[in-house]
Amino acid sequence: MTILSTQNLTKKYGKLVALNQLNFEIEKGMVFGLLGPNGSGKTTTLGMLLNVLAPTSGSFEWFEKPPSADSRKKVGAILETPCFYPYMTASQNLKVVAQIKNCSTKNIDPTLKTVGLYERRNDPFKTYSLGMKQRLAIGAALLANPPVLILDEPTNGLDPQGIVEIRELVIEIAKSGKTIIFASHLLDEVQKVCTDFMVLRKGEKLFQGNVKEALSDQRTMEVGAANLENLQSVLSNFKGIKKLEIKAGKCQLTVTPEIQTADISQFLFDHKVVLNHLVEKEGSLEKQFLKILKEQ
Amino acid sequence: MKRLLQIEWLKLKHYRPFWILTGLYALLVTLICSGVHFFLIFLKNQGADFRGIDPTIIPFYDFPDVWQNITYIATYFKIFLAFIVIITTANEIINKTLRQNIIDGMGKKGWIQSKLLLIGGLSLAATILLFFIGIVTGLLLSHPDGYPHILTSTSFLFAYFLEVFTYLTFALFLILLIRRSGLVIVGLMMYTFAFEPFLGVLFMFPPNEFNFPAYTYDLAQLMPVRALNNLIHVPYHRYAFREIQDYISLKEVFIVCCWLVFYVSMSYLILRRRDL
Repeated sequence: MTILSTQNLTKKYGKLVALNQLNFEIEKGMVFGLLGPNGSGKTTTLGMLLNVLAPTSGSFEWFEKPPSADSRKKVGAILETPCFYPYMTASQNLKVVAQIKNCSTKNIDPTLKTVGLYERRNDPFKTYSLGMKQRLAIGAALLANPPVLILDEPTNGLDPQGIVEIRELVIEIAKSGKTIIFASHLLDEVQKVCTDFMVLRKGEKLFQGNVKEALSDQRTMEVGAANLENLQSVLSNFKGIKKLEIKAGKCQLTVTPEIQTADISQFLFDHKVVLNHLVEKEGSLEKQFLKILKEQ
Repeated sequence: MKRLLQIEWLKLKHYRPFWILTGLYALLVTLICSGVHFFLIFLKNQGADFRGIDPTIIPFYDFPDVWQNITYIATYFKIFLAFIVIITTANEIINKTLRQNIIDGMGKKGWIQSKLLLIGGLSLAATILLFFIGIVTGLLLSHPDGYPHILTSTSFLFAYFLEVFTYLTFALFLILLIRRSGLVIVGLMMYTFAFEPFLGVLFMFPPNEFNFPAYTYDLAQLMPVRALNNLIHVPYHRYAFREIQDYISLKEVFIVCCWLVFYVSMSYLILRRRDL
């Protein structure tokens, strides 16, 4: 089932084009990363999808239907900064959310426990640290147990432990079959959490694809042997190696996608080279990302 | 509907300025509307008299005149209730909770409805308060001849409700349009108590050299605050034996209703069109 699709979604602020003719689809169960540098149109896109920004042109559909307040009830979302009534406590704030979402107030305490705010539930929101505010926002998004989550920079303002916790939480939630849209400017984060991703820059879609496929597009391996020079000269005869260099006492290979470590091992064995090291390295999405940006 | 009311209640019940302003309004209206009797006694003690008439014999609280008398005074304090609408709505804009409400799944129409419920609640509470003030002061101070007419002329209570409701909707429209509570509060005060009265005098009684056509008098009656004030006419000339309009004119109700429809639809339009 298609959870979300956009048709030529465009947002202009006067002459500035914040988002230009964006088309994309999100299928059920995807953890979809929205990746791009600051100001690339991530929040603008999400704002329009949540009906708080009016599109200049184009349209979108939630759950294969035109967007409505009811479709938003099925989406738990945080957009930019956490927004709550500052003079009200966490519990009171979530009560308002529960009323709007039309869900039971029984969910409030367990949700507060999930995001680690149960102890502070009766303190006013304005006394919270940024990290706590962010966690309350995530709690509010989770409150009604929605099939879709939109998380815009959810780890902003969190300490390293908080960041890890949120990532683990997202992965955990994704396992339960929920669809997640995850906006971030941190590539590493998208790589760790997402199944699919889209890259935006200056309001243009540069790339969309599966995280694994994007990574397998380029494969690097590290090979080590006692005699590095011999190793290098033997390997230079191997077909399928795009790049070969010696780095930090190891041979770094960039190979075409179909080549497996076993092929390298077999080849070297046949040429009587004994390996003491053979590792396949995951290409980092960051490199991919920078490559994608450079290609444009 | 009930849920929208509950949401609004949840937002307000912990908000202290709401209670302070509401309390201030209730206190002022109660003191002033029921204090006219003491004011008249005070005038008498100061030696004031109206062409030889003792001020305390003015039958201010006689049924059914009391309704027009007190609703007329009370309308001057509606601006306090407007402040409540302005401040709470401005908070929702500044704290971006308006945006969050929409994200969480409230419709924009639903959001306006919830604010109209707040406005309706405030107007209703103010009307009920005035009803009690009228009943109590009337029973204490009215000439017994008035008792059969206790509920005559309670249409002024309806007019009062309509006036407050429309004025608060005007305030809602302004704060959604301008988004700055300080600006709207000062602006609304200036407009209500200075700018429009001045324009009114200018248009209705223009100096001869202006040569305004005759219909400017009628046009001036259409101005937002003037139209509201026209619902309940000044009743006090009657004590100087002059004729007053002691009823609610349907034409004036109609003009106010037109403004009401305008404010509500504009508020909705602003919310629909604007980026939050």
